[in-house]
Amino acid sequence: MTAAANHKPVRKLLCLALALGIWFAPVPAGLTAEAWHLFAAFATAIVSVILNAFPLLTAAMLAAGAVVLTGTVDPAKAFAGFAHASVLLVVAAFLVANSVVKCGLGRRISLLVVAGFGRSTLGLGYSIFLTDALIAPAFPSNTARGGVLYPIILSLAQGNGSRPDDAATRRLGGYLMFCGMASLSVSSALWLTATSTNPLGVSLAAQRGLKIGFGTWLLASSVPALTTILLLPLILYRLFPPGMAGTPDAPAMARTELRRMGRLTRDEWMVAVVFASMVAGWVLADTLRLSLTAVAFAGLGVLLATDVLTLADMDLQGGTLVTFFWLAVLFALSTQLNELGFMGYVGERLTALLGGIARPAAYVILLVLYVLMHYMFVSQGAHVLALFSVFLDVGARAGVPVPLMAFSLLFASSYFSTLTPQAGSQNIIFVGSGYLTQGELYRLGLLTVGFCLLVYLVLGTPWLLLVAG
Amino acid sequence: MCYKPRPMSDFRTEVGRRWLGLVTLLLLAACGRTDGSAERALPAGEWREFEGSWTAAGTRETLPFGPDRRTAIFHLTGSLLLTGSQRPALGFRAEAIGFSDTRAGMEGRCVWTDERGDRVFSELKGQFVGDGNRVAGTFVGGTGRYAGVTGEYTFQWQYVVDAGDGAVSGRVVGLKGRARLVSPPGAPSK
Repeated sequence: MTAAANHKPVRKLLCLALALGIWFAPVPAGLTAEAWHLFAAFATAIVSVILNAFPLLTAAMLAAGAVVLTGTVDPAKAFAGFAHASVLLVVAAFLVANSVVKCGLGRRISLLVVAGFGRSTLGLGYSIFLTDALIAPAFPSNTARGGVLYPIILSLAQGNGSRPDDAATRRLGGYLMFCGMASLSVSSALWLTATSTNPLGVSLAAQRGLKIGFGTWLLASSVPALTTILLLPLILYRLFPPGMAGTPDAPAMARTELRRMGRLTRDEWMVAVVFASMVAGWVLADTLRLSLTAVAFAGLGVLLATDVLTLADMDLQGGTLVTFFWLAVLFALSTQLNELGFMGYVGERLTALLGGIARPAAYVILLVLYVLMHYMFVSQGAHVLALFSVFLDVGARAGVPVPLMAFSLLFASSYFSTLTPQAGSQNIIFVGSGYLTQGELYRLGLLTVGFCLLVYLVLGTPWLLLVAG
Repeated sequence: MCYKPRPMSDFRTEVGRRWLGLVTLLLLAACGRTDGSAERALPAGEWREFEGSWTAAGTRETLPFGPDRRTAIFHLTGSLLLTGSQRPALGFRAEAIGFSDTRAGMEGRCVWTDERGDRVFSELKGQFVGDGNRVAGTFVGGTGRYAGVTGEYTFQWQYVVDAGDGAVSGRVVGLKGRARLVSPPGAPSK
């Protein structure tokens, strides 16, 4: 038995003690018992995953069972995540991605990428960040963008011989998968239209008289966002060495393999057309008032109807079911934590403690607290709605210029999405690939967000003061 | 330079410690006061003035009622925190339901619940639920230490944002009011 396995019972007992300790502690004034008990269950679930006491699914099931059986949360609300559009979009994107890999189109695209950038693993990492940064302004949903990137990254990993269950090759896939997650977070900060959370935050900032348009946003974000895009692939490469560095022959081999593959097959054509239609639907979703999830369902339906995907393929997607369960439960519990007033309460109390603190310190502390509080959220939008205005108000009262505080909080609302595996729905598809352990995801998430925070504080602050006042 | 990866268990412990640090920080902030007994003691029957804020989330179903008129039913819940030395409590969970009409205004009911489970009931009247609109509330009774409470309050929506699929989120600042308790705030719940 390994040392880690020996410690597991101790960790489980620690988690039980934490849950009981919070649950039976006096309810803080201003909160209800329900909000406090839900916090006990939610916090314990997250801590138990971080301490490797339980996998996410186990932790989520225990938390959901506890809060429903004790009457803390109404069953209908606890299970509402199973019907939430964002959760279903993740599941549909998983299943559609399978078709891209199965028909060979993903391999063909990955060979094209390798032919262009494949002289090194680092080059592949940069190709992911650059591709995402270029397509991001056209995608109002970063979950949908993840659905486009994931099958290509999966094919890249598999094409380079990386398998999640093979210790010798797993790290290459893990590096590429985390590059996918991190690129989605930093490209969302670069463009106003790269995620639905940005316009939401902009509408809240407008309440303070701040008008932010596409160009204003891009000017403000350009220096810190491009710096993170430029440095993150390299930093992740250092933090999580993929185990394979130079592959000088890979581009030539990829071109040979592409020639050998010949023309597109019937299934590849079918997937290409369906995928292109889905991308068009996602890009035009706001204009045409289309549901992102319905677009994904329609695409999946066509792939099934044309036998590109079969029911036998669906039977093999057990991992998708596991992801669906834990994501739906944590999404609903986090939403309830917000609706029961816990998030607003903690935000208001924390900011109240900052009264009288000097302006620069207040700015830094507010930003760090805002980012750290994302440990409790499973939705970027919910975080922005619950806390953005609270933190902006306190910053303004402390004398921090409103444009500086607003932009810093808005950008943080994008880059904090790699903090935990569940911190943004776009992460889930990459997490579900199995290339990264929960511990690695939390560690890389914290370090990546810490790096982004540093860049935005050190470079972003003077830049924002210069261009936005 | 040779990069030597650290064992995963070290990182888990480190990340776990940091997370536990965050939980502790949140707990310290949240548990700063565990009851409302530190509010300035005033004799029962005295008017208690307070100010506060309310961050709310919930649902709103809208029914268009002509070209320039909208009607809606809403259900909002969230944390209501009070300030002022005379406040009846540090804060409540506030839950409101109501009917809102861009022309006729809004009528609603609101329940404030504190950490002991004691409740304050109020009736709401005002403008359509939307940015900058004003609402007035009248306390009509309560349970436990708030039994028989009277008083009134007003507030203004700083913003109300539709978050899609009927979800709505809003924030109230500048909530001001006064309440007269029949029993002192430290009295045990009934």
